[in-house]
Amino acid sequence: MAPPTSTLLDVAARTVDTVKVYGRNESVVRALDGVTIDFTRGAFTAIMGPSGSGKSTLLHCLAGLDTVTSGEVYIGDTAIAGLSDSDLTLLRRDRLGFVFQTYNLVPTLTAAENIELPLRLAGRRADPAWLETVVAAVGLADRLGHRPAELSGGQQQRVAAARALVTRPEILFADEPTGALDSRSSAELLAFLRRAVDEFGQTIVMVTHDPMAAARADRVVFLADGRIVNEMIAPTTGDILDAMKKLGG
Amino acid sequence: MFIVALKGLAARKLRLLLTAVSIALGVSFVTGTFVLGDTMTATFDKLYADMGQGTDVTVRARPAFTDAPTMGSPRPMPVDLVDRVREVPGVAAAEGGITGYALMLDKSGKPIQPGGAPTLGVSHAEDEKLGGSISLRAGRAPAGPNEVAIDAATARKHGYAPGDRIRIVFESGKPADFALVGVIGFGDADNLAGATLAAFDLTTAQQVLGRPGQVDQIAVRATDGIGPDELRTRIAAVLPADLEAVTRATVAGEASRAVREGLSFFTTAFLGFAAVSLLVGGFLIWNTFSILVAQRGREHALLRAIGARRRQLLAAVLTEAVAVGLLASALGLGLGLLVSGGLRGLLAAVGIEVPTTTLQLESRTVVAALAVGLGVTLVAALVPAWRATRVPPIAALREAATPAHTLPKVRIVLGGALLAAGLPALSWAIAGPSRGGAAMLGSLATFVGFLLLAPALVRPLVAVLGAPIARLGMAGELARQNAGRTPRRTASTAAALTIGLTLVVAMTVVATSMKASVADVLVRANRADLILKADSQMAPGIPAAAADKLRVLPEVGVVSPMRFGRIQVAGQTNSVAAVDPGTAEQVADIGVASGSLSALADGEFMATVDEAKAHGWQAGDQVTLRFPHTGDHTLRLAGTYTDTTLLGAGYLITIPTYEENFSERLDVAVLVTAAGGIPADALKRSVQQALADYPNVAVQDTAEFNAAQGATVDQLLGLVNALLGLAVLIALLGVVNTLALSVLERTRELGLLRAVGMTRRQVRACIRWEAVLVAAIGSVLGTVLGLLIGMAAARALAGEGITVLQVPIAQPLVYAVVGAAAGILAAITPARKAAKVDVLRAVVAE
Repeated sequence: MAPPTSTLLDVAARTVDTVKVYGRNESVVRALDGVTIDFTRGAFTAIMGPSGSGKSTLLHCLAGLDTVTSGEVYIGDTAIAGLSDSDLTLLRRDRLGFVFQTYNLVPTLTAAENIELPLRLAGRRADPAWLETVVAAVGLADRLGHRPAELSGGQQQRVAAARALVTRPEILFADEPTGALDSRSSAELLAFLRRAVDEFGQTIVMVTHDPMAAARADRVVFLADGRIVNEMIAPTTGDILDAMKKLGG
Repeated sequence: MFIVALKGLAARKLRLLLTAVSIALGVSFVTGTFVLGDTMTATFDKLYADMGQGTDVTVRARPAFTDAPTMGSPRPMPVDLVDRVREVPGVAAAEGGITGYALMLDKSGKPIQPGGAPTLGVSHAEDEKLGGSISLRAGRAPAGPNEVAIDAATARKHGYAPGDRIRIVFESGKPADFALVGVIGFGDADNLAGATLAAFDLTTAQQVLGRPGQVDQIAVRATDGIGPDELRTRIAAVLPADLEAVTRATVAGEASRAVREGLSFFTTAFLGFAAVSLLVGGFLIWNTFSILVAQRGREHALLRAIGARRRQLLAAVLTEAVAVGLLASALGLGLGLLVSGGLRGLLAAVGIEVPTTTLQLESRTVVAALAVGLGVTLVAALVPAWRATRVPPIAALREAATPAHTLPKVRIVLGGALLAAGLPALSWAIAGPSRGGAAMLGSLATFVGFLLLAPALVRPLVAVLGAPIARLGMAGELARQNAGRTPRRTASTAAALTIGLTLVVAMTVVATSMKASVADVLVRANRADLILKADSQMAPGIPAAAADKLRVLPEVGVVSPMRFGRIQVAGQTNSVAAVDPGTAEQVADIGVASGSLSALADGEFMATVDEAKAHGWQAGDQVTLRFPHTGDHTLRLAGTYTDTTLLGAGYLITIPTYEENFSERLDVAVLVTAAGGIPADALKRSVQQALADYPNVAVQDTAEFNAAQGATVDQLLGLVNALLGLAVLIALLGVVNTLALSVLERTRELGLLRAVGMTRRQVRACIRWEAVLVAAIGSVLGTVLGLLIGMAAARALAGEGITVLQVPIAQPLVYAVVGAAAGILAAITPARKAAKVDVLRAVVAE
């Protein structure tokens, strides 16, 4: 496991006093209640918290999938709060990568086509050497011609991971990527994400509620009621479980 | 369950409306046709009833057979008959009347030729009551040889008023000038069903209409206390055998029936277009419900799981269909009233003017609208509804069931069998002339076969047609994938367009062949240099004096006039042409098979080889022909001929024989050749000069004649295609609907694409290209089918004068391209919707 880096100078993304409010009047929910956090380049960060803690909202706001009510969000040096839908789309396409919990792949496209999708949308082709490296890393070389329906859940998530990596994004966002997988497939996917960080220097921000998954991260951030309440560097599964128990209790 | 169905509807108002509109358009055509037909019938009925109001009994010649085209001018009777009728006890007044041809000229000297309606010259009734609803609106009744009264519509349209001079052309030829002394109205109407009318006193009318001392009919008014039937019987007793007396009710009934018969062609045609629209609309409904059922598989399974019975599910889906059908019928009924106005405009455009009056909405029309709208919707929704009940309850627990990708074997076998039977039948029909049965059955089998197999054709077609689109980038590539993704859905969406385009292209092939045939006839059968016809398609002909005037010109070789009529032979009505045997062979080649055209004498006739064979006649046989006015006459068969393409008649007689048996005196066409050494343009110039006094004669050389005939065909084709355009429009609505439903279905996928970097513009492009592809598939299939069916139809109509098969290339190509491009329009709304998909909601697991 690589040593955690904590230099503030090399920040891939950060939020400053970010607030996200849903609803109006009496039914107001403060999903994010003043979150300020940096995500270091080349680090694997896990965001944890009970249901409704705001962890997914934080990820969505960071990734430009959702807008913040107040505060600032930066990807690298780019403040994304004021970007148009079109700019946000291009930002996601060119600078970010995504792995969602389910439904990551376009059913009509083969695995290979899904992997190349963001590049093709940009009118570009993948660098063949890099594509080969990524495909080899996720262990899908013999599955490239298959459509999603012909792949197992674990394979589908690995295709999604390969797609997220193929553009060499500044940050890979993963939203409960193992949420719908059995333990073996989860382990395979997490091993791949870990390798991406260690071997390719990939920055990863992952939301999860699985302590085993979070334990593969360099750093774990705990959210509760829209606020950061705890943070651990290179914790073990046990450490995380303890922290979660405190939050839950 | 009822509530579930209605709630489902309310949640999808827009789609409901869109689906209903497709049927409503078809229904509106049905209603529009009925409303227009009823309105026209009611209008004419009233008009004729008013006209005959004061006449209790009419005396007229007894026709040997009645036939719509010959109803115009009955055989005249001597005027002294009027006195004999007047002496019958119970007759208050009796007056002879005469009707003939009188073409008025406007103030600039141009003929006033109404479209479709005749130009009448009549005698003005002296007895006001016998005049019926005819009344003088201005001025006074005409009296003396130089006075005329005209109908109010003509006066209004052309700025004539009492005190003006007006020039009128008669059957005899030369125009004459009259003093306009009165303007006539017909009750509320300004004219008589669109006809122009010039009224003279009886003596003048007999003179100018060329029948001195004769009347067409005698109008009789009864004294008080005697019924029409009684009077009719009394009058009939004094009449010779070839005359009859009929009551007012009989006359009105005949007129009304004639109007209905005249309208029935248009009514049938309009209802045919309505049927096409409804068929296309039915496809759309079927498709929509299929998609809905597929999308709601889980919902239905859940309902089944919690205890809903199959029958209840069926009822729920059908309830939705009933609601759509009712809405469609109501919309269609309302639209129909507008459509009837549009159809009336369309009729006016082809020259059939219909008087305006209150629209007639009869209960039958409402019932028809409801039955058609509801019926088509229910039938179209039945299979999808039944399919909904086949969802196993366990499906609720699985991911939404994806529709089966494989075609049912039955469908493939049936479609294949139909194609296997239909294509050879079509080829056989194309290979030879007049194989109508094979053409019809082959077309039907091929068409249905294609539609059944269409889903299997979708993938290859998408691959081929989509290749250029896929090259445009990822959006195009995805569009191609999506179009091929649910072949059955794509196929049935495209099929709606196929139906419309097949008909449009087939019509175009037939029309093109028709034009080529006219050109071919002119080359093959015509030997004349000039063809003279009335310059309006609707005019009955040109005065015989025009031909006389040309005979003396030095530039002219021969002048050969032709007339037409209808006769009955052994109970069957056929066309007869009257020609001048001395000149006919020099202007036309009719392919004489036996005998000699130039030797055809009065009291003889020639028939086509087919007719002679059918009746078992030999040359020299005495044959009884029945003429409408003069009844049975025995004529000698002088010879046979084969080529009817120029004359369009199965029988030939001489002009004197014609004049003995028909009251018409106008030449339908006059063929003219140049004298030796005279160039065509010199001939034409001299003929035009000579006919300066005949403003309604069109002098055309063969090229001009050809072009004029072509223009007529084109106009008709334009009209038909405009009506078929409705079916194409409905099909495009279908594309909109299917795409909108697909977008709904793919919300998550679209969200995912947006999340990983697809721009809104790319999303829109993707949907747009998908629409274009679906439309292109429909267009290509429709064009191919249309060409095949059109070729077969054109060959099948060889007997109707389409002797040449000519397949247009450019027009079908343009139709196909425009059809495909229309997909862009269909995609506007769905594409906008797709671009607005909420990314977050789509990617967050539910």
